[in-house]
Amino acid sequence: MLQEAQSLDAKGFSIDRARNALRFERELRAPAGEVFDAWTDPGQIRLWWDPTGDPLGECEIDLREGGAFSFVTRAHPDRPFTGVYRQIDRPALLVFDALGAEGRVELTEAAGKTAMIVEIICADEQHLEQFVQMGAAAGTSRTLDNLVQYKG
Amino acid sequence: MERNREQELSAALAALSDVTRRAIVARLSQGEATVSELMKPFAFTQPTISKHLKVLEEAGLVERGRDAQRRPRRLKPLALKLVDDWLQPFRREWEIRFDNLDRHLTTPKEK
Repeated sequence: MLQEAQSLDAKGFSIDRARNALRFERELRAPAGEVFDAWTDPGQIRLWWDPTGDPLGECEIDLREGGAFSFVTRAHPDRPFTGVYRQIDRPALLVFDALGAEGRVELTEAAGKTAMIVEIICADEQHLEQFVQMGAAAGTSRTLDNLVQYKG
Repeated sequence: MERNREQELSAALAALSDVTRRAIVARLSQGEATVSELMKPFAFTQPTISKHLKVLEEAGLVERGRDAQRRPRRLKPLALKLVDDWLQPFRREWEIRFDNLDRHLTTPKEK
């Protein structure tokens, strides 16, 4: 039937263009409570947030709805990842606004593992473009493997 | 050239900003289709579908197949690859981040 132009590859990345959302799906080898804490405990998040593997230079978290957070990498102190928590529902859901987009982390535990869905939802198509461009500017090396394979 | 790539990318994103055109692209991702084949699921008139196809063709996302009689439309994968390549660095950054998270969660605690 009619589906949105959407791609989901083996590693669990998709673009939901109807909602201007980028969606990552992952299975993590830990219970949901531990995953939730890794997202909300500054002592933990500073250890994994920076893709380079360096600990964060600064990490501040005011963990309540309406509370602010700020993650600053050592490589790019000029580009902090800042936002405000909107919904805190341990261990199932964490919603925040960051850089003008909404972030949603949904955690579902099964047999000691956790299915994690992270969505970055932008206000509109233009904002999605801006958001990706910011990420790309901070990003790592460009690899050219295909996301989507079209039959034909 | 970099400037041309930028322009092509903008044109592709602009064309994909319409829900009907995205649905047409989704349909064509399953194989080529003629205008009348595209009309059926969308309940649009032929001029409306043709108008959307024209936008997609101008953006380099869709081309006409070889069969001169049926004039089927099909996707041009290269244009979509442009969109994908543009997303790649962003996507990689988040994926590495989640790799780090998984590693962090499976590392024995010190406390």
